[in-house]
Amino acid sequence: MSRYLLRKSAIYLLTFFVAVSIDFAIPRLMPGNPIDSLIGRLQADSTASQELHGFFTESFGLDEPLWKQYLTFWRGLFHGDLGPSIAYVGSSVTELIWTAIPYTLALLVPAIVLSYIAGNRVGAMAARRKTLDNTVLPVAYVLTAMPYMWLALILAYVLAFRLQIFPVSGAYDFSLQPAWTLEFARSFLAHWFLPFLTLFLVAFGGWAIGMRNLIIYELESEYTNYLQSLGAPSRLVRKYAYSNAVLPQMSGLALALGLVVGGALVTEIVFGYPGIGSLIITAIQVRDYFLLQGIFLFIILGVLIANFIVDIAYVIVDPRTRTGIQGS
Amino acid sequence: MDTVDQHTDSVSTGTAAVSVTVAEEAPPRRSRNETLYFAFRNRKLVIGLSVVTFFLLLAIVGPWLTDATPFEFGYPTGEPPSREYWLGTTAPGQDVFAQFVYGLRSSFVVGALAGCVAAAIGMTVGFVGGYRGGAVDEILSVLTNVVLVIPTLAVLIIVAAYLSVQSLLAEAVLIGVTSWPWAARAIRAQTFSLASRDFISVARLSGQTGWKIVAKEIAPNMSSYLFLVFILLFGGSVLIAATLDFLGLGPSQVMSLGLMLNNAVSGSALQLGMWWWFIPPGVGITAIVGGLYVMNVGLDEVFNPKLRET
Amino acid sequence: MSTQRTRRAIGLVAVVAALAVVASLTAGGAGAGPQSPFALPRSETLYTSGTAWGPYSSFNPLRNGYATGTLGLLYETLFRYDPLTDKFIPWLATSGKWVGKSYVVTVRQGVTWNDGKPFTAADVKFTFQTGKLTGSQYSTMWKTGLKSVTTKGNVVSFNFEGVPNYQDWDTNMYTIPIVPKHIWSGYSATEITTGNTDSPSKQVGTGPFKYGAGAGSSQTLQWNRRAGWWATKALGASMPMKYIVDIHNTSNTASLQNFLQNKIDLSNNFFPGIDKQVGGKIGTYYKKAPFMLSANTAWLVPNTTKKPLNDKAFRRALATAININQIVTADYGNIVAKANPTGLLPTWSKWINKAQAKKLGFSYSVARAKAILAANGYKDSDGDGYVENKDGSDINLRLIVPNGWSDWMTAIQIIAESTKDAGIKITPAYPDYNGLVDERNSGKFELVINNDKQLGNTPYTYYDYLFHLPIAESQTFANFSRFTQAGPAPWALTLKLNKVPTSNLVKAKKIHSAIQKYILEDLPAIPLWYNGMWAQWNTTYWTNFPSATGQGMQNTPSTWNGYLNMTGIDALAKLKKK
Repeated sequence: MSRYLLRKSAIYLLTFFVAVSIDFAIPRLMPGNPIDSLIGRLQADSTASQELHGFFTESFGLDEPLWKQYLTFWRGLFHGDLGPSIAYVGSSVTELIWTAIPYTLALLVPAIVLSYIAGNRVGAMAARRKTLDNTVLPVAYVLTAMPYMWLALILAYVLAFRLQIFPVSGAYDFSLQPAWTLEFARSFLAHWFLPFLTLFLVAFGGWAIGMRNLIIYELESEYTNYLQSLGAPSRLVRKYAYSNAVLPQMSGLALALGLVVGGALVTEIVFGYPGIGSLIITAIQVRDYFLLQGIFLFIILGVLIANFIVDIAYVIVDPRTRTGIQGS
Repeated sequence: MDTVDQHTDSVSTGTAAVSVTVAEEAPPRRSRNETLYFAFRNRKLVIGLSVVTFFLLLAIVGPWLTDATPFEFGYPTGEPPSREYWLGTTAPGQDVFAQFVYGLRSSFVVGALAGCVAAAIGMTVGFVGGYRGGAVDEILSVLTNVVLVIPTLAVLIIVAAYLSVQSLLAEAVLIGVTSWPWAARAIRAQTFSLASRDFISVARLSGQTGWKIVAKEIAPNMSSYLFLVFILLFGGSVLIAATLDFLGLGPSQVMSLGLMLNNAVSGSALQLGMWWWFIPPGVGITAIVGGLYVMNVGLDEVFNPKLRET
Repeated sequence: MSTQRTRRAIGLVAVVAALAVVASLTAGGAGAGPQSPFALPRSETLYTSGTAWGPYSSFNPLRNGYATGTLGLLYETLFRYDPLTDKFIPWLATSGKWVGKSYVVTVRQGVTWNDGKPFTAADVKFTFQTGKLTGSQYSTMWKTGLKSVTTKGNVVSFNFEGVPNYQDWDTNMYTIPIVPKHIWSGYSATEITTGNTDSPSKQVGTGPFKYGAGAGSSQTLQWNRRAGWWATKALGASMPMKYIVDIHNTSNTASLQNFLQNKIDLSNNFFPGIDKQVGGKIGTYYKKAPFMLSANTAWLVPNTTKKPLNDKAFRRALATAININQIVTADYGNIVAKANPTGLLPTWSKWINKAQAKKLGFSYSVARAKAILAANGYKDSDGDGYVENKDGSDINLRLIVPNGWSDWMTAIQIIAESTKDAGIKITPAYPDYNGLVDERNSGKFELVINNDKQLGNTPYTYYDYLFHLPIAESQTFANFSRFTQAGPAPWALTLKLNKVPTSNLVKAKKIHSAIQKYILEDLPAIPLWYNGMWAQWNTTYWTNFPSATGQGMQNTPSTWNGYLNMTGIDALAKLKKK
């Protein structure tokens, strides 16, 4: 087992290194100078603009050779310093990300966890009962085929705009400031619900279908036939089927993470939820190297860590990996 | 070596954990007539195929049904659907139906192209890794894992923003190049199980080279599987393309369903109640992708009798 | 066992759903009740939006990009400027005049900073001297004549060497915020020029509001009314709202929804389609087209170093071929106005030589455009419907706007469609913002739309924008069209204008006429429309917003950076609770 985990760790470290290097390289290899647009936004007069151009280029370290910027980047990483922001001069990237991340996590974590649990349960149930299967399956297919932003638009249109049950945008009511009060908590939940629901529904559909198909496959396989012919109670048979089906679903979880994160980004945009999604859009528009780098670092780190957790869970659940039985 | 269960390998795209289950042995080659017989009796396949075909026909024929072009102005602003304007008009005065049918075309083109690119890369990596094994396989595995873990959409957003994608081909290549890993993994697993079989050893003994063996013996045995993988890639690409277009990162001179959603949102379609502007594009995407996924499951049942519900 | 877990899972989802419904019924929709001790009382709070597009992280008024209201509500300027009457309003200064080569300002007595300390001439001197620091946005004045700042009692003298740049100086008088010496002398040079000075306890200003909450947040910023604002005693002015909450927009459409649901009172967002909602509780400055005041000009900037754009006859044909009315009506629903051929904003109309503009200016006419092209050697020889260059090569002009600026994207599509009729081929493109800036600044572009220069006290900024010389390899702030064809004359006139005291109307008008002649005849850029000072209000909780009619109501209804210190403050002070 430790060999398995060691391998996985090595791969993740390698992935981290590669991803971080790509993360560093892409913004810089692209055309366009962020200082130019920064100067444009300052709207200073001609003379001042000229001087400021050189000043900012120097203060952001953009006049240093690329390899030096790369090393500075890694050094800063280990100190938790992701550099200054170009879009919001005066703020550091870490600051900006810290204010946005809680909102994105508040959407992602419950959505992923709940949709995984609920989806697997419902999928398994649907595999057993025909009537449930006939209703759940088409719904699940439609849900999983929907683009996140479209479902977000529909929910916003029906529930927020037409019926006015939920608010249409933002993370909390304008008249409040974040605080540990019941008032704030209620407002937060009300604003959180629709974006959460969007992510939950689409992901739910996928898990339900996947689980249902896997269970059906398991139920048709030889060992279940054998068990049934021996007269084993159907509950026991289902238990084995479920345990076997869970494994591929788990590795699917790791894959799904990347895409749910993407879904969260567009959902945040539709609902004006002040998470990482909105920050990325601004960073792209203004070509804020440091902010973009920092955000992607967070995303990559987050996904890697989540993958690692899933791998550990996989090892716990699948006894074969523990005893080192290889699959081929 | 990755623990790959020979018995089941859930191949999921992430947006749909739709599994392509792998039989213990590759299914015996059935006569084509038998396959077709089961195909037409499979409800999922029929429904999925009909939906996809309907929209495909609409995409092909649609532009001939209307005089309007998607970017043309001059129509009455913000009209709801009527006999004259079948899907109404947009806020600045463009024909929604025209945008819709041209957008369908883009979706199909990008989906198919991206699917091909991803399938090509996935097959290459999967076949080589699965057949050769050893060090080559290790390296390819690591490569696959690395690309797998990096969140696709996040990378695409940066790259598309900087590269300023202006053609469907460019967008398709970009998507294809980032969405192949799961396909490679799945194909590799299949190749593994096939490569250890007797008829491959026979082929090797008779002096055939690796390439030919893969091309002549392994791939044809997996053809149904490869087709299923392609369909999933197609569907997934349509979704990713729609998301990129929605963010404004796709080609801006070519109408696409995602671009329609983008315009609708920035044109305040939601607040001004112009449901005919943002509902149709979403319906199109959902229908095509959903149809493809359902087809996938149906075909899976046709090819693997164990899955059939009788 | 598994049914148990199933039940638990379903139960979990049900609980979450129930919680949300309960929450929404109590907290959603209308927002937290006014009786709540934690929420702001609705009738005492003014909600604004449309200015902030990022987190409220900077409170440094000496660098553009500060949080909404930092300049205007917290910090103030020596004078304010009323663009609609072209008058300077004495504010922190009671008077200012030129005495020889010095500008002498009398600082107002009785003004206190919001920490209680008195405001003095020393604060003014300190503020203007920060312009000498490297990285300051206000360094220009120190490079163009200002030699020293001296104080005597409550009189500040700005001493110049040589002829001062009068136009620029006037602008400084109402744009440079005065910061307290007793706090800011503790900041380092970097903090002053590029820091964000966001420590709440150090936000000390003379203005009517002080910091409430929200620094660093990405949703709202709250300003609290302060006691002891000098203007109450001196001018009888007071702010009717206890709180001003500015809302960070993530998108214009999200703000539109909140606006229509009475959660935003004053919105400075761009709401396409708002013209259809005006009336009832929704108001704008004008009751009918163009609804909004004009804030800047959208120019079609040609690259005059590339053919055929280097031919002024071609530029004229191009200008004549654009159906600007269609952009105004179809794209903007009439919330913008067609531009004057000189491009100068309506508030500068007293400087516009109208007779000359009428005689020499262009206007839309497909027939005339075709005639100009024909008369100047542009023919369609290959019968594809588009004219070619004089040397026979194809003309296909690439017109760019930033990707995502949807109204501009639509506008250039309309332009391309309309110039088709006259035979000029234009291809719209939408590179991302930075790519566009790169193309434009380096001179690689052909046509671009730009509206950088805003409303101000003098059209000097527009002339500088059009004619600035010399041309560098990278043009970063002016003369993107690289116009040099009229020789050094228009730029020399512009510089001359800067040296004319603004009181000398006759001399100034002559120079204005001369420069405008170059704009009209040479078309270094083609003025298309005036972008609006987007402002619409919801009168559910507050009334008495600015209006084109009504005594004393002609104020700039905008919280945008630079507008509060025009007559935005007056607009706020005149509001009434419903």
